[in-house]
Amino acid sequence: MLIIALVISLIIVVKSADVFVDNLVDIGAALGISQIILGVTASAIGTSLPEFGSALIATLSGSVDIGVGTVIGSNIWNIAGILGISATVAGVIRTNKEGLNRDWLMTLITGLILLFFMFFGDINWVASIVMVIAYSIYLWLLIKSERGKNQEDAVKDEKDNKDDYPSGVQFKQDKKSINKKTIGFVIVGLLGLIVGCRLLVFSAVELASIAGIPEMIMGLFTLAIGTSIPELVVTLSSAMKGLHDLSIGTVLGSNTFNILIGIGIPALIMQVPVEPLSLSFDAPVMILTTILLMVLIRMGKMKLNRIGGIILIATYVSYAIFRIFIFP
Amino acid sequence: MYEKILVATMGEYMDDIIEHTLNILTDNPVEIIGLYVVETSVPFLTPKKVKEMMVAELRSKGEEILDSLAQEFQSPTHYMVNFRKVLLEGSPADEIVNLAENEKVDLIILGTGKNIVDKKLLGSVSEKVVHSAPCTILLVRTS
Repeated sequence: MLIIALVISLIIVVKSADVFVDNLVDIGAALGISQIILGVTASAIGTSLPEFGSALIATLSGSVDIGVGTVIGSNIWNIAGILGISATVAGVIRTNKEGLNRDWLMTLITGLILLFFMFFGDINWVASIVMVIAYSIYLWLLIKSERGKNQEDAVKDEKDNKDDYPSGVQFKQDKKSINKKTIGFVIVGLLGLIVGCRLLVFSAVELASIAGIPEMIMGLFTLAIGTSIPELVVTLSSAMKGLHDLSIGTVLGSNTFNILIGIGIPALIMQVPVEPLSLSFDAPVMILTTILLMVLIRMGKMKLNRIGGIILIATYVSYAIFRIFIFP
Repeated sequence: MYEKILVATMGEYMDDIIEHTLNILTDNPVEIIGLYVVETSVPFLTPKKVKEMMVAELRSKGEEILDSLAQEFQSPTHYMVNFRKVLLEGSPADEIVNLAENEKVDLIILGTGKNIVDKKLLGSVSEKVVHSAPCTILLVRTS
């Protein structure tokens, strides 16, 4: 019964996050917010809302281990699991040097910021402010880069005068008015997210208690993998379609968001305690996985190939075995 | 010999496909349709905005591919070619077969080059087309 509740709540959380972001973008467009800002924010936040919601609700309801575990576990799973599976299935994930360097460096810095504050014990409001500022800088960099790209595309389109088909990687420019339905969907999405996350955390805590599994393990694996379903479907399908920037960008962008916002916002509300094993094992594994990703991409001449993917999957399996059976 | 040819590409094996197409041309007039299919299917639980972004990016990629095909086939050297671009959305194999039927083409030219692992994991558009194509197919073998 609890497992069914866990699965159903996961679906509710993921679909609610989608409905919420989708309609919020429409409202933003109607209010005249730049399409670039909306596009970048929606894609950066859209897939990560389930992790954020679960981490926030878990922390607020006293299951702090589940909250931190979900964030760190998601970040390890995103790189070692999702990118590993995607590169293995698609055969190759190509990278764009500029985008990769920016997103990867930000992911690494984010991991180091978390590790730094973990050394001081509980993560408090000071860490929270640093994290939120760091994320704002990252968003600004993303928007700046997207603006530059769009300007280049506009110049190119004008030069080539190719208007056979609509083009451009951005959302439609049609300005809609805010209607009651859109506002209703935002509210429904938000409520679904809150109720879904609450149900998700509740079933995870109960399941952990009945099965005698530590809450941290539940967060690190069950919730982390579950709440990362949007990243998995987006990364895998975009890798299979040859949309390589989207594939790798989704994972790295999500990892940055998960820590800076997924831990940063709950830490603003209350102190987030740090479990010694998270500091000595989980967080270092997360950072090492990020470094391993870059090593594999460099070895593959700026591509993550199938062998790299298999190495990443093997890394995740080894981590899971160690964490579940040796350091539970 | 062929009066209407459908050249379908997803952006891979472009040079080989163009080379083989040019090799079979004679001095007789021929209509060539360049086709790119934007694969719109996404897994369950893919965020709507991300799907929109994927489709927009694939359309943009398709445009570039069709433009480079047009550049090759519309050059003065190939005066006998009447080239046309078609960009569709859907399942690539189904759209290729449907367009071939609707346009009554004589020949479909496609690339093929996936190894057995890729075929098992990603599927093969050319294999699906071979089973239901209404006309002759030239499968360009690439490494």
